[in-house]
Amino acid sequence: MAMDRRADHLSLVFAALADSTRREILSRLASGDADVSELMKPFDLRQPTISKHLSVLERAGLVVRKRDAQRRPRTLVAVPLRDVDDWIAPFRRFWEQKFASLDKYLNEMQNEEKTHGRKRRYRSGTTE
Amino acid sequence: MDGRGDTDPARLSNFGPITITTPGDRQIVVARLFDAPRALVFEAWTKAEHVARWWDPSGVPLAVCEIDLRPGGAFRWVNRSPDGGEGHAFCGTYREISPPARLVFGSSPEQFATLVFTEEGNRTKLTMTIECASRQERDAMLQMRVDAGTAQTLENLAAYLPTIA
Repeated sequence: MAMDRRADHLSLVFAALADSTRREILSRLASGDADVSELMKPFDLRQPTISKHLSVLERAGLVVRKRDAQRRPRTLVAVPLRDVDDWIAPFRRFWEQKFASLDKYLNEMQNEEKTHGRKRRYRSGTTE
Repeated sequence: MDGRGDTDPARLSNFGPITITTPGDRQIVVARLFDAPRALVFEAWTKAEHVARWWDPSGVPLAVCEIDLRPGGAFRWVNRSPDGGEGHAFCGTYREISPPARLVFGSSPEQFATLVFTEEGNRTKLTMTIECASRQERDAMLQMRVDAGTAQTLENLAAYLPTIA
């Protein structure tokens, strides 16, 4: 049951993260709390739109409202992001390893070019 | 250790070398920058002699690496197993080949990957979009289990935050 709840929560987090405006809001909040009017400025969005995005983020537990009288600044909660990160860790590791391997190989390829002094051009359709 | 490092919101703005995002229910986008010219990165993905050398991160060349680089052509990349035989195989079909910018291949009509190579100065950004048949399949892929033998712990498990446009 606990797993189900966790999966449900992850679904909310994924859905919240699926929107680029919401990701930008999170990024903005990562550098400090902000209230709705402060969030409106960089995004050129109307207040109801921002509020709608914020409520999705709040439902996912990514953002909380601070009790600060009038201003009601929002603050980022990083924990659900860590849950997502933990969840996709095997996938991330898989591609990090592949890409690190490719990186290393690309370096070797380029070093070989240099040591052999071949003037081969890497251009599309150039096969020798 | 105060254990704060991983939950410090400021850290979330530091992306690791790889960014992983899930822009839709059935998609996963993996992006990474490579310090090499675009055509070289494209070549490393499309010539068997190259793929055979890097696809297995352990450094062991692939047991089989076949690439029929044309639309509808097949590929088959097989890792070498610890006992020297054939290990895990990755196969599929090419759909679109546009050197050095774009490569699309899939293991089924519903599951495919689109690789886009873009120049960023002298470097190349690879953006790989994996399209899955369903959300369940996407989720299963995100939870993929890597062979215990190859799953070495990476020191830097960067905190997750989707790419900011």
